[in-house]
Amino acid sequence: MKRLRVLAAAIASLFTLLPVVAGAIEIKEITTPLGIKAWLVEDRSTPVVALSYSFSGGTATDPAGQAGITDLMAGLLTDGAGSMDAQAFRQRQENTAASLGFNASLDRLNGSLRVLSVNRDEGFELLRLALTQPRFDPDMVNQRRAQTIASINQASQRPGSVASRTLMETLFAGHPYAADPDGTPEGLAAATPELLKKRAAELLLRNGLIVSAVGDIGEAELARQLDRSFGVLLTGTPPALPPQWVPPTTARTVVVERPVPQSTAVMALPGIARDDPEWYAALVMNHVLGGGGQQSRLFNEVREKRGLAYSVSSGLRTYRRASLLVMSTGSANERIAEAIKVIRVEMGRMRNEGVTESELNDAKTYLTGALALSLDSSGSIAGLLHSLQIDGLSPDHLTRRGALIAAVRLEDVRNVARRLLRDETLTTVVVGKPVGVSPIP
Amino acid sequence: MPLPGRRSLLGGLLAGVALSPSGPALARLFAVEKRNAETFTLANGLQAIVLPSRRAPIVTQVVVYKVGSADETFGHTGAAHFLEHMMFKGTDKVPTGEFSRIVSRNGGRDNAYTTFDSTGYHQTIAAEQLELVMRMEADRMTNVRLTEREIVPERQVILEERRMRTDNVPASLLDEAVREQLYGRHKPYAMPVIGYPDDIRRLGVSDLTSFYRQHYAPNNAILIVAGDVTTEQVRKLSERYYGPIANRRMEPRHRPAQGGTDLPQKVVRADARVVEPRWTRLWLAPSYRVGETRYAYALQVLARLFGGTETSRLSRVLVDERKIGLSAWASYSPSSLGLTSFDIGVHPAKSRSLGDVEEAVTGEMKRLLDGGVTVEEVERAQNQLLAAAIYSQDSLASGPRIYGSALSTGGTVADVDAWPQRISAVTPDEVLAAARHVWRDDGAVTALLTPAESSR
Repeated sequence: MKRLRVLAAAIASLFTLLPVVAGAIEIKEITTPLGIKAWLVEDRSTPVVALSYSFSGGTATDPAGQAGITDLMAGLLTDGAGSMDAQAFRQRQENTAASLGFNASLDRLNGSLRVLSVNRDEGFELLRLALTQPRFDPDMVNQRRAQTIASINQASQRPGSVASRTLMETLFAGHPYAADPDGTPEGLAAATPELLKKRAAELLLRNGLIVSAVGDIGEAELARQLDRSFGVLLTGTPPALPPQWVPPTTARTVVVERPVPQSTAVMALPGIARDDPEWYAALVMNHVLGGGGQQSRLFNEVREKRGLAYSVSSGLRTYRRASLLVMSTGSANERIAEAIKVIRVEMGRMRNEGVTESELNDAKTYLTGALALSLDSSGSIAGLLHSLQIDGLSPDHLTRRGALIAAVRLEDVRNVARRLLRDETLTTVVVGKPVGVSPIP
Repeated sequence: MPLPGRRSLLGGLLAGVALSPSGPALARLFAVEKRNAETFTLANGLQAIVLPSRRAPIVTQVVVYKVGSADETFGHTGAAHFLEHMMFKGTDKVPTGEFSRIVSRNGGRDNAYTTFDSTGYHQTIAAEQLELVMRMEADRMTNVRLTEREIVPERQVILEERRMRTDNVPASLLDEAVREQLYGRHKPYAMPVIGYPDDIRRLGVSDLTSFYRQHYAPNNAILIVAGDVTTEQVRKLSERYYGPIANRRMEPRHRPAQGGTDLPQKVVRADARVVEPRWTRLWLAPSYRVGETRYAYALQVLARLFGGTETSRLSRVLVDERKIGLSAWASYSPSSLGLTSFDIGVHPAKSRSLGDVEEAVTGEMKRLLDGGVTVEEVERAQNQLLAAAIYSQDSLASGPRIYGSALSTGGTVADVDAWPQRISAVTPDEVLAAARHVWRDDGAVTALLTPAESSR
């Protein structure tokens, strides 16, 4: 009954301010009769079941000449299946208040299901149909393709989207991660219903499947439902991972002209892998530099003191074959050069001085406590469990996480800052009409 | 869209009644529903709503002031939003910029928002830290220091926020122009929440101080606490921290009963930054408070069945069958202290003109006005709305949002709690009558967003 509460309590309580709650977290690992593995947090407080799952292989493994086919295929899985066309499939979801969704990231094909527990048979049946009998009706393929191309066009006019896209193209030139997950008009045009079906068959395999479930459902019932939805999928070999990324060793600055009053800047450094021993030190360092909300050094120096931007932040990103530390901001064309300069000064200060004792402690209390705040809904909890599995962590990770954060010392942060914050590996992309920013090829 | 913030309506579903395509079954479930929100009012007029949930050991505190940008006057636009930013500066007890740092170092998150009708401040934090955030929120209700030194850099921050949200975004600039026509120049709702750049540059210590003194008081605020807490705890803490703050005499809030006087209008923004054109039409519409308010529930059903999802009429006919649009939508939000709008929009398919789109949309409107709507599509729309309400129970954040929005626009807890029944009671005839009332040429502004070189 109160398992979720116990889970959240354990997460919130691992640091000193809060009472320590002993005991295990109730993440159950189950294996179904047909051999599907899943994590489950049983929570009877709302009559909802939320599922988060993914398959090996994402947009970075789009076949040559078919850029965009994986994400297009993902969206089309819920546009008609079995005997139901797209309209019938949608109405069936609406009538049962079930919600199914798929999308593709660089590395994986991701999906979610949300259903009222009384309607779980219907929900898992719709999931089975989407996974095993998607139709790819030509009309729907054409419609989704046209919508995707329009959204690529729209993104090409949004400074923030252009900056992100250009950053990936620059950092990953020659690597599959450089490609737009949405694809290209040419690649999408090549995606026929036959090729989409083939792509679905290549990716929707039992090997590499990861499943997390949260909500009003017990182990036995979940096992039965998972076997219904996933049990008939074939085993096989998912697409090979892309090659390892070789990070840049020289600094670059790219300027993309756009007729806008405010320039967007994104600045990226090679980051740190999730399984790196210095990960938690990097998490603390990033929080002090530009993570979280309104407490960071970048927020204070760029926004509070100088009024150079509304939005300024930094974050760690991890992919299967690469990792990044990305800082971003937006400032009037005439002032963006100064904003970039202040960010670089703060990078240097962090590299040379590390963080203070009080910054270290504040970061620890925030990072420890804030995880509980994200346990807002069944879907977000399922997403958290799913991401733990993606990162290769064990179910007891949530009980150990607090101690791992608490163990970070001042010199750990200083060391990881020296390792990561190197000007000579900084890639800067500015989109707008920036004054005083020169490209460095 | 207002959704009820109650948990127990799910109890009925748990009892084993499946959602089916028939609305009445759901309506009955909602009808037997028992209220979960607990309310009380302090002697100084502060109204409190408590939404207990023991799911996670966290609480959310929201203080919503009944003041927004529509309470500003022309020439002083952006004051409500500017003040919202300044509320994160210092008081005598909490030094400048420390508010959010204190929340953060205690494992919490905070932020704020400004709308046309309200200004809200919220924190989510471990349940035992409720006292901390309540003490600080009460402190800044009357003690914020508004100084020139703090205002100068913040003005630049706000201008950057405006560039990011509006000046960099052609669709936002078009929206500003449309609102001026729809609501009438210099009228509430016609002026942007963030303010015009010249006004933002002009607003100073005296403007913000007088706005603060005029509108920030316990009797003009709603306190909402959701999460792992009891009403008794909230009552005790709020009496201690908010209780001693003196109330003030509040001026009544004025909203015009009429919108723009020179309608219909067409507003075109041809912008070099646009690659994908868009057709939108907005009609002045009644809200829960102003105009023919009896249509407010039927209009929510109308928006849903006409353009709310991919199974709606517009989507099926314009996108699936005739392939005139890439997407099509309708929307209507009744939570406003003044008039509101009913909006229809279409993203045209390639090689289709905005004229083709307009003809197709008006054709579908005519078909609805001539032929009415079926019982089945009304029930499906009702089910969608009610299902969304059920799922909103699964999120801790939705309750405070729903009650905050309702109570800052003249609604009551009882209104929020009656929403499912009122939606369920809407009939096909009422949907038709609501469409006839709102879809009138003399209440509409058509907005065209096009690439600069195109004249279509």
